[in-house]
Amino acid sequence: MSRRNTIAIARIVEETPTIRTFYFDYDLQAKPGQFIMLTDLANGEKPFSISECESDQFGVTIKKLGKFTSNLFEKQAGDLLSFRGAYGSSFSLKGNNILLTGGGYATPPLYYLCKELLRKGAQVTVVNGARTRDDLVFCERFENLGLEYKKITDAGCFGRAGTSVDIARELLSNNDYDMVYVSGPELMMKAMRELLQSYPGLNYEFLFERYMKCAIGICGNCTMDPLGIRLCVEGPVLAGHQVEKLTEFGEYHRNAAGKKEYFK
Amino acid sequence: MKGKISLSTEFLGKKTKSPLVLPAGIMGMTWSGMRYVIENGCGIITSKSLTLESRSGHPGPVVAEFAGGLLNCMGLCNPGIIDGLAEINDFKKLMPEIPVIASVFATTAEDFAELSRYVNDSKSDFLELNLSCPNVMDEFGLPLAGSKEQVTDIVKLVKKVSKIPVIAKLSPNVTNLSEIAVTAEAAGADALCMINTLGPGMLVDIDLVKPVLSNRTGGVSGVCVKPIALRAVYESYSRVTIPIIGTGGIASGSDAVEMLMSGASLVGVGSAVYAGGIEVFNIINQGIAEYLKKHNYTNIGQIPRLEKLHEQA
Repeated sequence: MSRRNTIAIARIVEETPTIRTFYFDYDLQAKPGQFIMLTDLANGEKPFSISECESDQFGVTIKKLGKFTSNLFEKQAGDLLSFRGAYGSSFSLKGNNILLTGGGYATPPLYYLCKELLRKGAQVTVVNGARTRDDLVFCERFENLGLEYKKITDAGCFGRAGTSVDIARELLSNNDYDMVYVSGPELMMKAMRELLQSYPGLNYEFLFERYMKCAIGICGNCTMDPLGIRLCVEGPVLAGHQVEKLTEFGEYHRNAAGKKEYFK
Repeated sequence: MKGKISLSTEFLGKKTKSPLVLPAGIMGMTWSGMRYVIENGCGIITSKSLTLESRSGHPGPVVAEFAGGLLNCMGLCNPGIIDGLAEINDFKKLMPEIPVIASVFATTAEDFAELSRYVNDSKSDFLELNLSCPNVMDEFGLPLAGSKEQVTDIVKLVKKVSKIPVIAKLSPNVTNLSEIAVTAEAAGADALCMINTLGPGMLVDIDLVKPVLSNRTGGVSGVCVKPIALRAVYESYSRVTIPIIGTGGIASGSDAVEMLMSGASLVGVGSAVYAGGIEVFNIINQGIAEYLKKHNYTNIGQIPRLEKLHEQA
């Protein structure tokens, strides 16, 4: 289930100058929302959400942020990488009239989710927002699915300036969704939670990010206050009833040493 | 006819609802993580081994699975003694009745004593001296628990400072573990915890032609170390009178009974949290209760212990 596999990168797609999707020809059998731990056994190991997953291949979409990802961006198709997983909880796939809201480079896992939801016959609306055009990814993929798709940037690259939460607010007030799935930066998801609190009966699930080391539920680095649930096992997808109880959500996370770092 | 079965016991004067202990390094990073483990049936918490300064630990991969268990080189990641004790204090605010062992790591007796002073000012119930981490040898050299002199110096000095009972965590990676146990007791340790992870060991990625762990080597834990843990506890139990926390490869109720029978007063459950899930504590508790029922016992104190090894000469 979580055995390590070392295989060649099948192909790399440049989504924007700082975001790439790495594909592997491997039947991972991951569920939407799950993640892998990826390493070249030389420059560390990090968790990445799965953005595409079919029987013959899967992909992870990665933003160049620090040392680890910079090293990864040096790799080419044919280079070997090692991964373990898929790990963690997954989106429930519940709902018939569904709103997906994504932010920046956290949007791609919603693409895999979206395809699974369409496969089971749900009606899906997608909102994809980012700071700039350089952080807005998967537009073409979503557009090719033939569903209601809205994109927006803070900078107003497509006319209107704003966030995915602004669009979600309008959609929620004009539609009768029965499920909302969200994946974005913590403060964007915090704004989404505030918005969703005005729709008490509406179920939702968020995809979270925390510093992970072991990914198998033993090191305790990614536990979420006050529940103590491990984001690598009980997460990274958490349901609304859990999200409502999280006191650290939108406030702080713990770094590699376990020290609290507050969101700004 | 039969009394109600209870798993509660006492350890160095503190009551616990279960003999199961979360050992250092597993989950005990945050107050909520500690809470989660207790809510799932564990009796006593050990914090991550805390150091004077915070440590991010080794880069990944820090764990690797294999058929017999786990290899890890977490590298003593912890937020440092001040933040680490704050996590313990936050946990104790929530669950004051649950005993907490503050584990600390240093390389000199003086630093251990300094850490002990901090722990004195916390809500921790016990102090554990980690003398035996096997995956920081590049940085710190051989574990202290290999040397009788160092064990004596550290335990003696800390005992002068500590206001709470002191537990020495020992390494299986020595040829004379029960000697070291006797040494720690003679130096004043109030209890022992054994075994730390075995090894160190190594695993290789045959495609990348590299060791899997970033640190190359790491401590071995999980089901494969159980026979060594049982032997270590039994031989030490035969020679000391202080209580022992027996840990290493415990994954079922019968494993835990084996450990108690070999002389342990409490039983650590660590790697099984990976293999068996967080529910493993409740499953082990249930297994112990079933054993008690089968033999018409009502508490774990009635579990018979192996006859002590006769001291050789």
